Amino acid sequence: MAVRSAVPESHGELAGAHPTPLVVLASLGRMAMLTCLVLVIVYPLVWMCLAGFKSTAELFGDPWGLPGALRIENYVTAWNQGVVRYLFNSAFVTTASIFGVVLLGAWAAYGLTRLHLPFATPVLFFILGGMMLAPAVALIPLFRLLQALGIYDTYFALIVPYVAFRLPFITFLIRAYVVTLPMELEDAAVVDGASRWQIFWNVIVPLSRPILISAALLQALFAWNEFPFALVFINNDNLKTLPVGLLDMQGRLITDWPVLLAALTMASVPMILLFIVGQRQFIRGLAEGYGK
Amino acid sequence: MDRTASLRRRRWSLIATLLVFVLVGTCSSAGLGASASTGSKLSGSIVFLERWPEPQYAPFWKKIVADYLALHPNVRIDHQAIADQPYKDKIRVLTAAGQLPDIYFSWAGDFANKFVRAGLAADLTPYMRNTPWGNSLAPAAVDAWTHGGKIYGVPISVDAKVFLYNTKIFANNGLQVPKTIDALITTCDTLRSKGIEPIAFGNKDGWAAIHYMTSLNPKYVPRATLDKDFEPSTGEFTDPGYVAALNEFSMINKHCLTQGANGIDYTVAQAELMQGKAAMYYGQTVEFKTFTRAGGAPASFANNWDFFPMPPVPNGRGDQNLLTGAPDGFMINAKSKHIDIAVDLLKFITDRQNAEAFTKTLGRLSSVAGTATSANAFPQLIKALRVINSASGMNIWLDTILHIDIANAYLNGLEAMLNGTKTPDQIMQDVRAAAAKVRANP
Amino acid sequence: MSVIAKRVRALSGWLYVLPALILVAVFVYYPVVENFRLSTFQWNAFSTHPRYVGLGNYAGLMADPVFWRAIFNNIAYAIVSVIWQVGFGLVLAAILEETVRARLRAFLRTVYFIPVTISITVTGLLFQFLYHPQFGLVNRVLVILGHPQWTHSWLGEEATAIWAIIGMSQWQSVGYVMVLLTVAMQKIPREFYEAAYIDGTTKVQAFFLITVPLLREMTTLMMILTISGAFLVFNEVKVMTDGGPNNASQVLGTWLYRSAFQNDQMGYASAIATVIFILTFGAGVAQLWGVRGKQVEF
Repeated sequence: MAVRSAVPESHGELAGAHPTPLVVLASLGRMAMLTCLVLVIVYPLVWMCLAGFKSTAELFGDPWGLPGALRIENYVTAWNQGVVRYLFNSAFVTTASIFGVVLLGAWAAYGLTRLHLPFATPVLFFILGGMMLAPAVALIPLFRLLQALGIYDTYFALIVPYVAFRLPFITFLIRAYVVTLPMELEDAAVVDGASRWQIFWNVIVPLSRPILISAALLQALFAWNEFPFALVFINNDNLKTLPVGLLDMQGRLITDWPVLLAALTMASVPMILLFIVGQRQFIRGLAEGYGK
Repeated sequence: MDRTASLRRRRWSLIATLLVFVLVGTCSSAGLGASASTGSKLSGSIVFLERWPEPQYAPFWKKIVADYLALHPNVRIDHQAIADQPYKDKIRVLTAAGQLPDIYFSWAGDFANKFVRAGLAADLTPYMRNTPWGNSLAPAAVDAWTHGGKIYGVPISVDAKVFLYNTKIFANNGLQVPKTIDALITTCDTLRSKGIEPIAFGNKDGWAAIHYMTSLNPKYVPRATLDKDFEPSTGEFTDPGYVAALNEFSMINKHCLTQGANGIDYTVAQAELMQGKAAMYYGQTVEFKTFTRAGGAPASFANNWDFFPMPPVPNGRGDQNLLTGAPDGFMINAKSKHIDIAVDLLKFITDRQNAEAFTKTLGRLSSVAGTATSANAFPQLIKALRVINSASGMNIWLDTILHIDIANAYLNGLEAMLNGTKTPDQIMQDVRAAAAKVRANP
Repeated sequence: MSVIAKRVRALSGWLYVLPALILVAVFVYYPVVENFRLSTFQWNAFSTHPRYVGLGNYAGLMADPVFWRAIFNNIAYAIVSVIWQVGFGLVLAAILEETVRARLRAFLRTVYFIPVTISITVTGLLFQFLYHPQFGLVNRVLVILGHPQWTHSWLGEEATAIWAIIGMSQWQSVGYVMVLLTVAMQKIPREFYEAAYIDGTTKVQAFFLITVPLLREMTTLMMILTISGAFLVFNEVKVMTDGGPNNASQVLGTWLYRSAFQNDQMGYASAIATVIFILTFGAGVAQLWGVRGKQVEF
């Protein structure tokens, strides 16, 4: 595969032709479109951050201008209203469900591909079939089931369904990767006397790192934004995740828009920073996971 | 091997982390209250759900709970609060989950009666009828919480819907308080011609329009017909007064109200009044505090407003002296294991001292008689109490007194009417259809 | 190994699969079956006795104009999302890959992906401000551009509400599919493009002759994911309009929630859930069929 080099502005040069006016116009048009897109994305976010520094009167009077004084107290109030707690709850539930789904998915993928179990194929289809079942469908029965199990209104009320509903897709993903792994390393380990447990942890897992990272990232995106379960299965304000907590804050702060906007900013900044810092890893994780 | 060892270490740290998660997960806190020691005999744990989590109200409720706990060391209270708009969803989720709190907030009307019919509201008649406690509360307020002759709720505040108006704008334009609805419309026309928004209006949550109908329906429809129609098993809504009332609202909308209101929050309407951009606002007495200096209103407005109730309709077939408004209140879960504690807490909340503090801090009229004085209430609030006491009766909010399906027909229909996509006749058709379904399936 | 030991060994292999199997069976399959059973009753949070009505709830659904409006809204969501996210996402990814310098490319990709990292509730609440009839940016911009007659109460008018929400959703997700497609695009060997350019093919032609066909599998997968996502929409609508005004912006998910938790009709809500199940089942079958047996590779 040829090494990717910086792409010259116009491939016309390779063909030996001069850039025509049409080509120049096209590239200007492209640049304009790309810049427009950047503005459309960045401007509302910057506005949201600055609006958090305004007073309510300022916000009503001159919504799109710069704030007069920087009212940090809005951000303090937003903090006190519980944004951090919601962030923590979301982070906790997301991380726990990532561990759960990746672990159980990897185990299942390993068991169904490498262990030559009888009935492996029907069981596989059963699990994968779960991909076709949407969370909203299960809202009411799950609601009753969680109560019956006594885990309603606890962290588990979210973690368990998040794991269960994403297991089919994640298992599918990991399995697709594991079947392509060469058998030699495993065979060598067997010869060395390794147990299946050891093979799983010492051979399969390290080799599957890229797809496990991809799986973790996709699960993170799902769990972080999940709303209907979080809305119905958790009532205790101390346990609410970010989407629901912010909506509650809107109900509480109806007269205090700047504080709400400050809260929204505070809720977004961690993920944005996390992404900017880790974006190369993220892309690489996706790349390695999606094509081997 | 180093690799195996490090992998093993990583695996154990993974398992250790999982264990930590499991442990943290099982410790979800719920904020129970502890207490000091005095000699109270009540003991047990209850859940108390109120409707005021806003930062300006929350401290008041926290203090009341703390004060009560100090007096009753063996009681534990799980104090929760849910805001107004999500409350209707959340209380149903809690009910369906079998987690209805021991004490829960409710609106009067069919909203409360649902809980009564489902056996989830404790009969409080023995505690409140002809008892010192019951007699300390405004009779009209207790009346709103009576169903089938029994009392099921404790009113905590009284409320009325009135037109707030900017006295300076009125004076500058030679306007008087309108004495009839037609005079109100003429006032609006005058204001419009001067470039002033006559009545600020924000209907994003849907209830603002319904409150207008709550006031207009009784002006055109006789009281007895209304009472019959409010009952789910006998509601028909065939009286022509209903359509007439909707037509009147349509007129008011055309001449007076802010347009595009379905996308506007009521707080924006409040702000328009306060900033002098609008002359009037149809609001509740519980909103009065917002319009005072203490509540954050600009000085230019805070000292220059007054109010008047919805003016009468000459030749209207209904009772023109009814005032729109309803007492907020609490109900007790009939399945609660500690009804005694619940009753005691509600008694505490409605004792004179706390009722006066309620009015002072929250700026709302308490249901306890005689607790609004110049010591704890601003002039407009005291006038409001007088107006409430002199009304011949109260109209409870249409969206809480009606069965939810009929209420929805009104809510949706009014939103459509404001967008110009439904006529009053069509709205009443929907209402009648909903009422028919409700009659068939009580 | 003895026969028993072999048997134990085989069975213990199932231990790896059992946790996943149990979780999926109990928390995914059981609720769907139970949901169908619940949909044959009329009941709610306050019911003392649930009432059996057979397929009555489904008959009610067929006659319910809001239900059909919700389906229309979901379909609108699906169509716009596919065109913008997959269609434009593909074009955007190609433009970034072919015509933009490496460092600028990384910067732009990051910026375009940022909205994806933000919680949907945040975007929903933020856009409530942007769409505000008086203070909102959208109306402001229209006035500045000299078209005040185009201003609307975007979330308050029945005709515009769902489209305003769909628009916000596209703002949020422009980067998501684009990034996934970028990753796939980078797998295409450069030689194909080099050869084509030397032959005088323009970049646009190369896009249609090389990029699109080679990405077909990935694009199909993305399309199916986007479409099934469109039928599961809940968050955005709940936060921005709660299905209003006058139920004009209801989608199946929010209508389900409202029926269950505001209109006191849980049986009816279960019927809606069954319909969603049938629709997403279809999408899921298409998904499995499209990638049957193959590993995800190029």
